[in-house]
Amino acid sequence: MTSLMTTPWRKAIRDFWQERARTVLVVLAIALGISAFAAVLSSYAILTRELDRGYLATNPASAMLRVDSIDKDLVTEILRNPEVSDAEPRRTISGQLKAGPVQWRNLVLFVVEDYGNIRVSKLVPERGAWPPATGEMLIERDAFQVAKLKIGDAVTVKTANGVEQPLVISGSVHDVGQAQARMENIVYGYINLATLVQLGEQPLLNQLNILVAQNRFDKEHIRRVAGDVEQLIKSRGHEVQRVEIPQPGKHPHAALTGMLLLAMSSFGLFVLVLSGILVINLLTAMMASQVRQIGMMKAMGGTRWQIARIYFAQALFLGIAAVLVSIPLGILGSRALCRYMAMFLNFDINSFAVPLWVYVLVALIGVIAPLVAAAYPVWRGTATPVRVALSDFGLSQTNFGASAFDRALARVGGTFRLIAFAIRNSFRRRARLVLTLLTLAAAGLFFLSALNIRASMINTLDHMFAARKFDLSVFFADPYEFEKIHKAISKTPGVTRAEGWFANEASLGERRFTVIALPPDTQLQGFEITEGRALTLPDTDAIVINNALAGREPKMRVGETVVLRIGDEESALRVVGIAREAFSPGAVGYVPLSLIQQRQPHMTNSLRIALDNSDPDSIASVKAELDRNLEEQGIRARGSSTKAETRFAFDEHMLMIYVFLIVMSAIVGGVGGLGLMTTMSLNVLERRREMGVMRALGATPRIVCLMIVTEGVVIGILSWTIAALLAWPVSKSVGDLLVRMILRSGVDFTFEPLGLLIWMLVSIGLSAVASFLPAWRASRETVREALAYE
Amino acid sequence: MISINHVSKTYETPAGKFAALKNIDLEIQAGQFVGIIGKSGSGKSTLLNMVAGIDRPSSGSVAVAGTDIHALSENKLATWRGRNVGFVFQFFQLLPTLTAAENVMLPMDFSKTIALRERRKRAVALLARVGVERQADKLPATLSGGEQQRVAIARALANEPPLVLADEPTGNLDSVTATEILDLFRDMANRGTTVIIATHEAGIARVIDRVIEISDGTILH
Repeated sequence: MTSLMTTPWRKAIRDFWQERARTVLVVLAIALGISAFAAVLSSYAILTRELDRGYLATNPASAMLRVDSIDKDLVTEILRNPEVSDAEPRRTISGQLKAGPVQWRNLVLFVVEDYGNIRVSKLVPERGAWPPATGEMLIERDAFQVAKLKIGDAVTVKTANGVEQPLVISGSVHDVGQAQARMENIVYGYINLATLVQLGEQPLLNQLNILVAQNRFDKEHIRRVAGDVEQLIKSRGHEVQRVEIPQPGKHPHAALTGMLLLAMSSFGLFVLVLSGILVINLLTAMMASQVRQIGMMKAMGGTRWQIARIYFAQALFLGIAAVLVSIPLGILGSRALCRYMAMFLNFDINSFAVPLWVYVLVALIGVIAPLVAAAYPVWRGTATPVRVALSDFGLSQTNFGASAFDRALARVGGTFRLIAFAIRNSFRRRARLVLTLLTLAAAGLFFLSALNIRASMINTLDHMFAARKFDLSVFFADPYEFEKIHKAISKTPGVTRAEGWFANEASLGERRFTVIALPPDTQLQGFEITEGRALTLPDTDAIVINNALAGREPKMRVGETVVLRIGDEESALRVVGIAREAFSPGAVGYVPLSLIQQRQPHMTNSLRIALDNSDPDSIASVKAELDRNLEEQGIRARGSSTKAETRFAFDEHMLMIYVFLIVMSAIVGGVGGLGLMTTMSLNVLERRREMGVMRALGATPRIVCLMIVTEGVVIGILSWTIAALLAWPVSKSVGDLLVRMILRSGVDFTFEPLGLLIWMLVSIGLSAVASFLPAWRASRETVREALAYE
Repeated sequence: MISINHVSKTYETPAGKFAALKNIDLEIQAGQFVGIIGKSGSGKSTLLNMVAGIDRPSSGSVAVAGTDIHALSENKLATWRGRNVGFVFQFFQLLPTLTAAENVMLPMDFSKTIALRERRKRAVALLARVGVERQADKLPATLSGGEQQRVAIARALANEPPLVLADEPTGNLDSVTATEILDLFRDMANRGTTVIIATHEAGIARVIDRVIEISDGTILH
């Protein structure tokens, strides 16, 4: 076979092999970039496919209608509509649950009439009993962590209007379309109708899940069909409180996941660009060291293109080798990433199969990127005229000393000759130095930005939670007189302040959001007003909206008056201000409590309480005591949350971003380190003769080694300086961009000074390690070998 | 065969202008074995480079075997050189990652004048002609200086060029080996190849047909 391979190809292969140590470094660097890109791209393909596939397998409801009550006849009548292929009633009810003396936890109960015949929004049984018998409850698999329970445990459950009732946890289910229990800090429970009755609730179903017959992914069509169903229900004398139409065919978290993965893959491309820089460095050095060989080949009749092809072939080998390494690595990475995301999003992946287009794209990019990077050095290197190439002895190819900069450098270092020498040497190959610094500084910048963004997000959350001066929130199913609640509170020790608020649902046209009525002079909630003003005592018809609501409803500008439907009544409210709630996911408006109390005097449906001790144990005991005192007054809380629990939920949401940032900076750091190692080995290689001269002049191998390592460290410190200078503006803008893209909100920027120190240690360590290997090898050479090197 | 008319070459150096060749006129017949003799820096390498199309004259014209090579583009020149000129250097300049045979095959691969399957056979035959066929599959680093120069000569003959140029081909060899190498060139000229050797060794007179002595960029005789 080799006899059919022309000598230019053989030369390409052997040169590639001859420099295998360095080649391996560069291949690794490119492979890191491609692996990261391949992992993220495959994960994107797998997750978006599996997420939607898993979701669709449950036959998700096209629309959910909240009705006062639904009976079988009504369902039968709805099913006569040929546009509705299925309709299934359920009940969703909130309550609380506790096991033993532990505090109450928030619970959402789903009541299903016939577990043997679920056709819409199916549940997947996991372990234990199926279906739940009367007196039993199944729990969503992800909610076990929230409930801190196991199958077989006995719990006490109470709903808003019912009685406390013991139930047994008999099994677990997977409810694919449900938001993760861990993040919401809610336990999802599944019971039958008879159990509902045991809990003291009416045996009625109030939620209708419908499935449209055709055009299942056409939201407009679904809206129309749901409208028809709504009309029918109303015409039978029932009340429809709400119609919800989720994004058809899309898992609730599909869009967010896709966005996050796309952000990650752009990072993979960034790493690929960095490794491309290494290819440029490698080939520039290779072309320089082969100048004579190029001249020879030209003298023998090789055209520029014939010779360029040899070096392009080497770039091609780099790409192919990198692709071969990175496809399995990328697939391993994507599995890990998918598993992590699947756990995070609470869904199962049936197949990790990577679609063909991912392989093709990765292979293409992996092979083409080094070729593109090679283009300039190869084309320039092969341009050298034969005469110049032949007269070049491969010695000092730079004319160090020609520029004013060089002469300035010549004064650097003073009497400490070793450092002076190292600094001057690192500036000899200026283009290479710039490219190496670029890679290393980018790695540092990434690392610092990652830490800064993380610190800024925590800072933003800190601010957000500092504005909340209450430690405990209690929600009621119905409004109660504040008088009664006050009695319960005054009997509870440890409460320093309590305010009765009123949470309600409001709508502007078809769109709904939460309206919270609170005393305008509230002591328990601070507002960061970005436009207009906060609520004041005389206000009655004013509303302050948060940035999420302002972003969603362009009509709600400061100074405008809007007509909102709050509960059953319409109110004209003037938007007086916009409050920033950085990471608050929901759209919220704040109105004066007097607005609601005009209709329902002295009533309140939620409590905000500040305590004198805010450690978890104190909060738990206050909560238990308050629950008892409220029960005495005939008041039952629907749920409660502590500031720490809410904070925990936020931190859980952010965790994925933190992990992503840290993993990315580790990869970029790796590429930077490999880059420096390549640069140092090239610097050493080109100066072998010089080192021979120094050794001949009496330098010990240790001195030679030390000199090279110092040179590497000089580069490391320079890159650190660049990264440190740019870290502030870059991390601020990247952080804002990233957070805005994923969470639609800016961050309160803060700089993490510890990052500077860490990165300084890392970059010095990295450069010392990266230069040690070539230095050690160079110092071991005999003087004769080094001098003979051409 | 070679016709050089009014050729001058001036280099711009940091130390000012330097005239390497001054108004040279020269005719060389086909099949001649010519020695260009002169000291270091006399201009003999520059003259050789002009004939090979490696360097271009500042003024004047160079024609080799009927081709005005000073008018060719770099790429055309390379192709022309591949077929018409064989080159031998003082430091042998074998490509270090190619074996002896492969070094000889390289010009054939560039010029594509010889069928792919024939190239190795021809390379080995050429190596046999210069007496190093047993080293065919060795890398240059494992060969002695004389062996390397023999391989370089075989490589110069790869495409059967009508013209072979050698710049100080014996400069790096001991006297016994140098004599053997010069005999190889003599044999080449006997077979009809035009051979031009630049050297500062006067001892070459023994084997050559014609001496051209050059000093300070002008031909003395």
